[in-house]
Formats: sequence, C-alpha cells, structure tokens
Amino acid sequence: MNSRSGRLAALAVLAVVFLAGCASDAPLDSLDPKGEYAQSIDNLFVPVFWVAVVVFVLVFGATIVMWWKFRVKDPSDDELPAPVAGNTSVEIGWTIVPALILGIIAVPSMALLFDIRDTTDLDNDYENLDVVVVGQQWWWEYRYYFDGFDPDVDDFDTPADIVTANQLYIPADQEIPLYITSRDVIHSFAVPNLNGTMDAVPSLYSPWKIQADEPGLYFGTCREFCGLSHALMRTQVAAVEQADFDIWVGQQRQPYTAPDEQLQAFLDAARDPDAEAIEPTTAEERGAALFRSLCSSCHLAEGVNDDLYDGAELVSGAAPNLTHFSSRSSFAGAIFELYKADGSADTNQLEAWIRNPPAEKPADAENKRGMPDLGLSEAQIDDVVAFLMTTGEEPSDFIKQETVVE
Amino acid sequence: MAITEEATKELTKGDAVAATVEQPLGILTRPTSTKGWKSWLTTVDHKRIGILYGGAALLFFVLGGLEALAMRIQLATPNGTFLSAETYNQVFTMHGVTMIFLVAMPMAAAFANYLIPLQIGARDVAFPRLNALSFWIFLGGGLFLVSSQFIGGWWSNAPDCGWFCYQPNGGVIFSPSRGVDYYAIGLQITGIASLISAVNLIVTCLNMRTRGMSMFRMPVLTWMLLVTQFLLLFAIPVITVGLFLLMFARLFDAQFFNVAAGAEPLLWQHLFWIFGHPEVYILVLPAFGIVSEVIPTFSRKPIFGYSFMVFSGIAIGFMGWGVWAHHMFASGLGPISVAAFSLSTMFIAVPTGVKILNWLATMWGGKLTFNTPMLFAVAVVSMFTIGGLSGVTHAMAAVDTQQTDTYYIVAHFHYVVFGGIINGLFAGFYFWWPKVFGYKLNEKLGKTNFWLMIIGMNLTFGPMHILGLQGMSRRYYTYSGGYGFELWNMVVSIGAFTIALGVLTFIINIFYSKRKAAELPPVGPDPWDSRSLEWMISSPPPDHNFDEPIDVHGLDEFWHRKYGYDDDGKVIAFATAAEVAQTGDRTDVHLPSPSYWPIVVATGLPIIGYGLIYSLWLCVVGGLFVVTGLFGWAQEPADDPNAVHDDHDEPGDDGDDAQGASALEQSSTEEMSVDG
Repeated sequence: MNSRSGRLAALAVLAVVFLAGCASDAPLDSLDPKGEYAQSIDNLFVPVFWVAVVVFVLVFGATIVMWWKFRVKDPSDDELPAPVAGNTSVEIGWTIVPALILGIIAVPSMALLFDIRDTTDLDNDYENLDVVVVGQQWWWEYRYYFDGFDPDVDDFDTPADIVTANQLYIPADQEIPLYITSRDVIHSFAVPNLNGTMDAVPSLYSPWKIQADEPGLYFGTCREFCGLSHALMRTQVAAVEQADFDIWVGQQRQPYTAPDEQLQAFLDAARDPDAEAIEPTTAEERGAALFRSLCSSCHLAEGVNDDLYDGAELVSGAAPNLTHFSSRSSFAGAIFELYKADGSADTNQLEAWIRNPPAEKPADAENKRGMPDLGLSEAQIDDVVAFLMTTGEEPSDFIKQETVVE
Repeated sequence: MAITEEATKELTKGDAVAATVEQPLGILTRPTSTKGWKSWLTTVDHKRIGILYGGAALLFFVLGGLEALAMRIQLATPNGTFLSAETYNQVFTMHGVTMIFLVAMPMAAAFANYLIPLQIGARDVAFPRLNALSFWIFLGGGLFLVSSQFIGGWWSNAPDCGWFCYQPNGGVIFSPSRGVDYYAIGLQITGIASLISAVNLIVTCLNMRTRGMSMFRMPVLTWMLLVTQFLLLFAIPVITVGLFLLMFARLFDAQFFNVAAGAEPLLWQHLFWIFGHPEVYILVLPAFGIVSEVIPTFSRKPIFGYSFMVFSGIAIGFMGWGVWAHHMFASGLGPISVAAFSLSTMFIAVPTGVKILNWLATMWGGKLTFNTPMLFAVAVVSMFTIGGLSGVTHAMAAVDTQQTDTYYIVAHFHYVVFGGIINGLFAGFYFWWPKVFGYKLNEKLGKTNFWLMIIGMNLTFGPMHILGLQGMSRRYYTYSGGYGFELWNMVVSIGAFTIALGVLTFIINIFYSKRKAAELPPVGPDPWDSRSLEWMISSPPPDHNFDEPIDVHGLDEFWHRKYGYDDDGKVIAFATAAEVAQTGDRTDVHLPSPSYWPIVVATGLPIIGYGLIYSLWLCVVGGLFVVTGLFGWAQEPADDPNAVHDDHDEPGDDGDDAQGASALEQSSTEEMSVDG
C-alpha cells in the first residue's frame, strides 16, 4: 500500500515539476516562450498536457482502486467472480469518448499547424527580407537577402547581402521569414524560446519563421543527429531594437575595413597585384598576411581575401565567413565565447581553437569535415588572433554578457 | 503445403530401431537425436526454437543494456569523458539496433513460436524446417551486426548513424567506417528471418488449428501475434528495399541518396518509416497479447470484450500503415501532408485506448492476485498509458516541433518500448516459465525484480520528459553546464543502473529457482488456474504437445472444462486441472525429423555479408553454403527411412488419435481446415 500510494504521489509531483519545475536557468526551455510562435505552441501544449495528466490519473487511480478493492484478501475463499465477458454498449462508449476528446483536440491542433507553417504576409518592416539558414557540419550560416530569396531560382550560392555565422541577428518584435536548408547532411534548426524546430534538408528550402517579443539573446541547437559534433552545433539569435538592427545591417553589408590606416594600406597593397608588397611590421599585419595565404583555402573575408578565395576545400563547400568575425560574440558553432562578461575580449579560447581545432571539437578533418590542425607556431597564432580581432564592431554588451558556456 | 513435414520418427524407441537398419541415403539421412547440445542445432521443434529465440534475445538484451549503461555513465555529468563522440555515436546506434531488432523482435518471436501451436492445439508450426531456418538466420544476422563492434578494432567499425540512419549522414562520405555496411547487410539478413517466420506462423494460424478452434476462439495472444506476422510480412520488404539501396549506394556507388547527383534524401526517411512505424506495433502487439492472457488469469475472469480486443488489434494493424510521416513532421513536408498524418496519428490512440480500458474492465470485479506476472502486466497498462498520452502531445504536429528529436521523444518511446513491451515480455517470462521449464520463478526475487525495474524505468525515462522540454536534443554525446540538464541527467543515470539491478535479479532468479525447484513439488500442467490450451498439457510439454487433439467448443476451452455454472448461474468448479489435462505420455506420435540443413543455409548469409564488405571472394564461399544447404534441403528425405510406420492412423479414421497423428501427414491440411 505504502509503496503504491507513494508512487502515485511521486508521479503527481513529477507532473507538477514538468511545467513549474523546468528550471528557470534552462536557456533552451520550450516551456519558456519568448515570441509569438513559441507562445502559440505552448498555449496548445499546456492544456493537452493537463488532459493527459487527468487521463493518466484516472487510469492509474482505477488500478489502485482495484488493487484496494478486488485483490484476494482471503486465499481460502475459492468462490469465483461472475465471468462478465463484455458489455457492448460500454465498449462502444469508451471507443467513442476518446475519439471525441481527440476530435476536440484536433481542431486547435490543425489550426495551429497551418498557422505556424504560413510564412506569407509576415509583419515586418523589411518588405522583401528573407534569411536563408544553412546547416552544415557543425555550424549554422545565415544569409540575408534584402531583395528576397526565391527557392525555385536561387540557392545558397546566390550572393547574399549579408553572410554571417553562428549568430542570427533579427529586429525584435518583427516576424522574420526563414528558409532552412543544408549543405551536407540533415540538420534541424531549433531556437525553442522562439519557435519549434525545422529540419535543414539538403535539396530542400523549407519555409519557416522566427519572432522575438523583446530584445535579447536566445539560444539554439541542432536537433537532428548530424554526425560527430552534433552535440556541439549550437547557435544564438540576437534580437535587437530595430535601430540597432539597421546599424548592424549597415556595418555587415560593408567589406572589411581596417581600424587604422596603416593596416588598411598594408592590405590594399597586398590585394593589388601591381602594387609593391609591404613587409608586415605589426601583429595585425602579419596576421592579415597569414590569413590571406593560409585561411583563404576555406574562409572568406570580403575586403581581405575575396581576390583569392575560391570556395572552401571542404565537403560542404563552405566555412564560416569571417568578414566581420569579431562582431559576433561566439565562434566554432557557437560553442565558445569571444568576450568576457565584462565586455573585454577573451582570446585564450580562440587561440586554443586555432592551435588545434579537432582537439576542441570532434571532427573528421582529414576527410575535409571540420577545421584541421594547421600546425601554426604560437607567434603565428597570436598574429592571426590579433588580425581577427580587427574584423568588426564589437557586439552590444547584453549580447556579450549572455552566455551559457561555462 | 508442399514443405509440410511428414511424420517421421518414433519418440522413444525409434533410435534403437534405427541402429539396426541400413542407412540407404548416407549423409542425407535426417538426424534423429533429440538429446544433447547437437540436437539443438538440428531441432525443428517449435518449442525448442522458441527457447532458442528467447535465450538469444536475452543475451542480446544484456548487451544492449550494457550499451545503455555506457551512455548513462557518459551523460551522468556534464562534459563526460567516458566515451568519445565517435564511440558514443556507435554505442547509441547499436543500443537502438540491438534492442529493436535483436531483442524485442526475437523475444516476441520466442513467444510466437512457443505458444501459437500450443494455443491453437497444433502439433507444430506449418513448416518446422523453415522455423529452424528463421532462427539460425536471425542469429547469424544478429552476430554479424554485433561483430562490427570488434572486427577491425574495438568500437571502430560499428554503425554510427542512429537506428534510423538518415541519409546522407549514413552515406560513405559522412560515415566512412564500415559500420553502416554492417547495418545495411545485417538488417537485411535478420529481415529474411522475420519474413520466413511471418509466412510460417500465418500459415500455422490459418491452417493448423485443432478441431473447433475457429479464428474467433483463438486466444487474444495468438490473435495479436497473427496481426504482428501480417505487419512483418508487409513491412519488412519496405525496409529491405531501403537497405538494399543503401548497400548499393555505399558499396558500389549507386548514388541513391547522393544529393549532388540529384537524389532526394527524404526518400530514405519515407522508406524507413513506412517500415518503422508498423514496426512499433510489431513490437507492442505481442506484449498486448501477453497482457491479455495474464490479466484474465489473475483476475479469474474472462477477458472483457474479446472481440473488441481482437478488432482493436486488427484496427491498430491497419491504421499503423497510415501514420509513418509523424516521424517527419519537421522534415519539411507540406502542411497538408503533415495535417493528414497528424490526424491519423491522433486517432490511432482510440483502439489503443480501448485495449487499456478493456484490461481495466477485465480486472474490475475480479479476484486479483498480484504476483509477479500480474504486477508486470498491470505495469504495462499504466506505463504504456503514459507513453500513449505523451504520443498524443506530439501527434499535434505544431507542438511536435518543440519535442521532436529531444529527450521528450526518447522518454515517450521508452515508455512504449520499456513500459509496454519489456514489462509485457517479463510478464510473459514469469507467466509461462513454469510451462516451458517445469518450475516457477521465485516469487520474492520476482517481486524484487519487478520493483527495481518499475522504479528504475520511471527514474530513467520520467525525467527525460523534462530534459526534452528543457531543450536537450537526443543523441548528444555530451552537454555543457548552464542548460539546466545536470540534475535530471544524474537521476536518469541512477535510474538506468536501477533497471540493470532489476535485470540482474531476473537472471539470478532463473538459476536460483532452477536449483530450488528440485526441492519443490512439480508445478503440474496448470499452476495458475489458466484458461487456454497450453495449460492442458504437462509442464514442460511433451515433444508431441498433445496426446489427443482437443475438440474446442468455445473461447477459453480449458477453463470451461474446469468450471461450469450451477442453477443460480454461479461459477462452480467441477473438475481439477489434473483431471482435465493430458498426461503427455503417449509415445507413438509422428513428429517432423530434425534437419541439418537450416543451419547450413543460415551460415552462408553472414559469410556473404562479410564478403560484400571485405572481399567479394568470400561471397562465393557463403553462396556455396546457401546453395549446398538448399540443395541438401530439397534432397532431404521427407522421412527418416528408418522410422517405423506400422502404427499409422488412416485419415478420416474417427479414432481418438486420428487428428493428432495425422495432423502433420499428407492429408492434414484438408482435414484441419474442414474442422477449423
């Protein structure tokens, strides 16, 4: 008796824990909606969850009652119960009643399904904006098309207005249309606070959408098993005020420009085949030279090596676009932070990453899936990092401060 | 029925007679021994094959369980280092493949092989040699799959693409080890075993029923197993097509799933899930059948709503074909496709719900004995209900986008497969153990086993709901702190080890009870006061099952031979089981002879498999095994030439043993189908 009622109590507690107890510090919590789509899903899930709890309590309660009432208490009593073999009307009844309950649940379920899949007439101030979300082993690329993206004509090689990685910038309180696709295997793009997941299937451009009520940094992940570093294929959505978004767009649409004239002059000379080469003198200049000679085999930075870059030598054909690398607060599939909570740059992890990427994140680099160990010297690593930290405006403080990475 | 075995040998004195007669056919003479380990290799007795299936499945169960424990060690704490990503991906893949294809399916096959002929009053299955072939092919395929874990290095060549092995991730570019080759070939081999068994058992159910055993007098378990065999018959070919394409794509550059060559990767998902969803019912219906036998017995009441139980099973069997795309709600199918599958998925809950409620109604007003089999059966009712209800929450396709591929799904299907299937199979183990082995499993250890497993499973799979809703994706080899995953992952890992203790208790119980059995009185034919025909014969049953064919007059024939009604309509016992049961001491029944050939044919298939992976020359060797085996099989004398046939009953002879002796002879089908 005790163990059974104890179990019932435990299950009831568990049921409450489900909704209330899902830890508040869970940044991927699907029960903590921060946008209209996630909210509408939550609004359907919660009542159906409680219907399910009631049904379970009835079924389990009936079992307990029968254990209490009908168990053999006196083994010597060998009188047999009436052999009731069925009751057609009762059985028809409990065929129809569940069907009716399900029928009632089906109505809002269907309505929500068509609603959530409808990506036409979204409410935003960027009439033709489409963002193509491209999954690949093991990071996410975001391609912004301000004049629209037509999946029947365009593909992920169609030049985009902005190409970025790991962090998806959106204006808060605006409905942004997405096309989800992949360059290699199937992934699935999930930012649970803002919407459900949509698979990234190579050959498909699946329409999807995203919206955040308030500015903030929202965390995302890959849902579909995609190989070695599936667990380390994360992403972030930075929802910002519209004015900040417009500033960000203005910056991101520009090619790389050096923060100081000397570095810019060095780069201009390097990029001009007719100019006389300048010997690098600073860490940034040595880093820029190294970036051009070494990193160009996979990474593009507009204004730095677009004259050299000819596609990434990887299975997926792409590596993160680094034009505005340091404007993002995370890197390597959004698993590492580039800034400390106080806003200052934290280059230790970046150095470790460049020193030996496969040691930091499982990959199959020898088969061109993931960044290989380039065998750089410590001085070279310092140079490249110094250069990379010149690649963009620092992100807003709230973005730098929000983190789940320990 | 061309392959129907003819009656061949004497039970007791045949061997002695054989020794004195010349052997005209040399090696092609059929083996006769029914004793010793060698006899297990050549047996065609459905009961022994059932035991072989069950034993093999239990070994694989331990293996799959160890894989689960390894995963839980890795995930107990954040940033675990017990397994590398590479190894973890192989371990979770092999856990799924093992538990589904090498545990749940063959355990159900064990019950089907052992019990269907007994429950319908038959001498054996329709095609005893095919039955043996099915087991040996299954075992070969299973060992082939498992061998991937150590051939070419410890855990370096096992499949690493998940049990549904989505393409192109399972292609040769993204999964360059040999693992997926093992997966594609191994599952084709075990698929052959399932298909053979399905045909065999369907024919058995349709043609081998004893006199008066009409279809709607078959026990619910036999019905559910029959529906399962039809599902296998139609589902296995679909996955075989998929696996065949995958094998050719990987081994011979056939490009079926290469997107760059114009392939559509969702094709694989459709092929897989058109098989994969009926597969869920293939796994769960046998467990439902077991529960439908156990609950009436220990409620001392007939099953409530027999025809609703049977028809809801059939309904699940049909509707199970129309729900596969609910595994693909987030894959980018159009909303109308998703809507159709969402609706069908919701409404498949109706026949399942009918079963739950009918089980409860069976218990209502009964006299309930909560011994170990009953506890497991009641656990199926409540635990499967949890799995079914969480299923409804992701039948709502939009809601599913927050749940799919998270631990919420892992929780859901483990409440179905562990809560429903494993608990059901354990109910079956404890229930039929005395019938199969002649001794009861110890009740005290049994209850310990039960409580460890039920508490363990709720600790393991309950918190997974929370982890999933908190956003933990499945198939993560690790997770960081800061996501709120720490506490529940630790609880899950503790739960997993609790389950392991439960399973360990079960294994101890087997040996402990066997040792103790010698001191206890024999269990007799009917230890539980049961209802169906298998309890009407001795425990363990004689090789020939029934001394006399049983005339069946209604559902629960055996019960009606023990109990009747007095003038007031009250149930009274008018015979004891011992009075009604057959003694099993008849010695002149013709049985199909053992055969060497099934195991020879089966040996060839994994060799062909290794050949496809490592050297095509090996395929020739394996092919020789298969061809030789089939040739020997075809040439094998239908009879042991030494068998003595002088006690032959004429078909149509109305004598008491006519049916029994002739059931497996030339005229058996006609006679049985007329009677049936």
